[in-house]
Amino acid sequence: MSYELDPYVPGDSWLHRLDPRVKLWGVVVGCFTAFWLRDLWWMLVLLGLIHLLFAWARLPWRKLRELWQQMALLVLLILLLQPLFRPEGEVLLAWGAVRLTTGGLYGGALIALRALSLAFILALLLLTTAQPSLVRALVRLGLPYTWGVGISLTLRFVPAIYALFVAVREAQAARGWQPDGHPLRRARGYLPVLVAVIIGTLRLSDQLTLALAARGFGDARPRTVWHDLRMRGSDWLGLALLSLILTVVFSR
Amino acid sequence: MLDVHSLSFTYPPLYAGESITSVLREITFSVAPGGALAVLGPNGSGKSTLCHVLAGLTPRYTGGGATGRVTVAGGDVLASPPPVGVVGALFQDAAAQLFNHNVEHEVAWGLEALGVPTAQIGPQVMAALERFGLAALRHRPPWALSGGQQKRLALATLWAMQPRVLLLDEPLGGLDLAGQQEVQEALTGLRQSGTGVLLTTLEASTAGYASQAALLNAGKLSPPFPSAALANQSELIEAGIAYPPYLWPDFGAAQFQPGPPALELVDLSFHYPGEQVALHNIDLTIPRGQFVALIGPNGAGKSTLIRHFNGLLRPTQGRVRLLGQDTAGRRVGELARSVSYLFQRPEQQFFAATVRDEVAYGPTQLRLPDARARVAAALARFALTPYAALPPAILSYGAQRAVALAALAALDTPVLALDEPTVGLDGRGRAQLLEWLVARRAAGVTLVVVTHEMALAARADRVIALDAGRIIADGAPEVILPHCGRGEAA
Repeated sequence: MSYELDPYVPGDSWLHRLDPRVKLWGVVVGCFTAFWLRDLWWMLVLLGLIHLLFAWARLPWRKLRELWQQMALLVLLILLLQPLFRPEGEVLLAWGAVRLTTGGLYGGALIALRALSLAFILALLLLTTAQPSLVRALVRLGLPYTWGVGISLTLRFVPAIYALFVAVREAQAARGWQPDGHPLRRARGYLPVLVAVIIGTLRLSDQLTLALAARGFGDARPRTVWHDLRMRGSDWLGLALLSLILTVVFSR
Repeated sequence: MLDVHSLSFTYPPLYAGESITSVLREITFSVAPGGALAVLGPNGSGKSTLCHVLAGLTPRYTGGGATGRVTVAGGDVLASPPPVGVVGALFQDAAAQLFNHNVEHEVAWGLEALGVPTAQIGPQVMAALERFGLAALRHRPPWALSGGQQKRLALATLWAMQPRVLLLDEPLGGLDLAGQQEVQEALTGLRQSGTGVLLTTLEASTAGYASQAALLNAGKLSPPFPSAALANQSELIEAGIAYPPYLWPDFGAAQFQPGPPALELVDLSFHYPGEQVALHNIDLTIPRGQFVALIGPNGAGKSTLIRHFNGLLRPTQGRVRLLGQDTAGRRVGELARSVSYLFQRPEQQFFAATVRDEVAYGPTQLRLPDARARVAAALARFALTPYAALPPAILSYGAQRAVALAALAALDTPVLALDEPTVGLDGRGRAQLLEWLVARRAAGVTLVVVTHEMALAARADRVIALDAGRIIADGAPEVILPHCGRGEAA
């Protein structure tokens, strides 16, 4: 019964312990930096640093490999298409209207590295931050509490709805469903599953309304928070460092 | 503490042509502080609706119309919802009331809503988890727990909030004996501090926990009477609530002659990817025609084991042979010709537009020659013919369970694996189920039944007790069951 769609990897590294608000600031700083840098070598340095952070946070190498695999197609497309659409600089190869140029190659590599950096920065946040504390961070940064609950419940019920889908498929298989070679008939076989999942999702949301009301959601009494976020010395240091990086990057 | 006066409730019609359903009629009773009332009623008698109305959830969030007066801890719940922490409600489907990412936050959520100071939340969460035997599972997501664990967790969330009134819809159904005892002790503690309890049940034994009992039938509640009067069960039998073992048909254990193997598990181990081992080196042979009861505490691996019979799960190590043939490389849909499987909550897996389509799905998929006749016979056996054209989702719990059984009956496979088939069934539903099982057995079908009910296990040819993924006892019921009175294998 493992329907893990949450990318979070539990751990106790400094990056795991860092206040999620600082990590969100880190994402902002990282994204700005990735967009600001125009030099291929500095982009490589940035991507290298991000890889160092992966190692430092003691994230499994498997995760990094998965990320590279997921990004591979996008990177390949950028590298292939960008030089064709943006032919600048010296012409290396010409084949009719299609020209391969040094400027195009350079630009393609830059955009590919930028896409990789952005993806890996976001992955660092999601891999090292539990979803509830991420939502808590957003609430502390000013998101209304009810919105926070909405986001939490959506994240929480994605696996539940997937589980529903699996359960209906299992019920059908257990009563003789077999994959049909014909793609059209195969797609039609999914229709009742879709209907069952939609009905089940509506039922889940009805039950959820009751469950929340039964435990006092919407009551006027002010709530307390068990594990509230608190900035420690290291968090302030992180915040200062990130802000310094941003200043340096912008002033270049 | 809880005062109900002349409460009536009606639902609007669910489908065209249905008249307005009167679910509760002129109900009057009260529960004193520290007192407890057990409400007994068959499936569809309005027990869950009563709990929802008293909790202030129905009709506020569900629609329908309520008249009369419901006073909970001094407040009129029909007029305004009870303040947080006054009422604790356990739903019949406890899994549906869990909505957090992990077990400890599930318990903490209610304490946060109560405004408990941050420093006290941790200790109170741990106290509740320890009280219900869940401390070791505190970092697990609620949806990864077993059914019994989910019910204990839902109870722990209520217990932690120390409500003035507890409304418990079938609190002990589906719990192993150790879990039942934990729950009863926890409730007694709350009652001593003045909490009033209303619980619904199908069992005279559970009703015995409350000093007072009342029967709910077709929306009418009898005047409360001492629950000790339920001992001979005659009223419960008459009302279709109970179906005690002395009335059960004979399973013919004495005539059983073992045939060639129906199921062979050879050195079977299993774990979900990245998780702990759930089954350890299981070696098991079940001969054709045998009736096997599979028992063990919640989370022992019972469901995981029988999911290997039809290939829903594949062994991480070892093999499964079904009717002499290895199941490796054969699809679930193909194995469905030989084994049918009753899921633990089949009513949540319906996908067809009508009861008839749901029951016909299996025979149609497998292109059985006499599909129409099979479907008609299965509908008739489970008294579903009048509902054949309705969507399964709008039927009562008891009727939905009957649909799930009819869908298996229409397939009529030589091996039947049933996961807790009696949970939540009233007397009529049980009679239907057991009579069908006895008929299947007489036809030579191999039965493997996961159950917490010792009376049902006692009727089997063989009892297998599972604990922590290992077979810890295997033999005739009269040999195994006397050792399973408490805890470890119940």
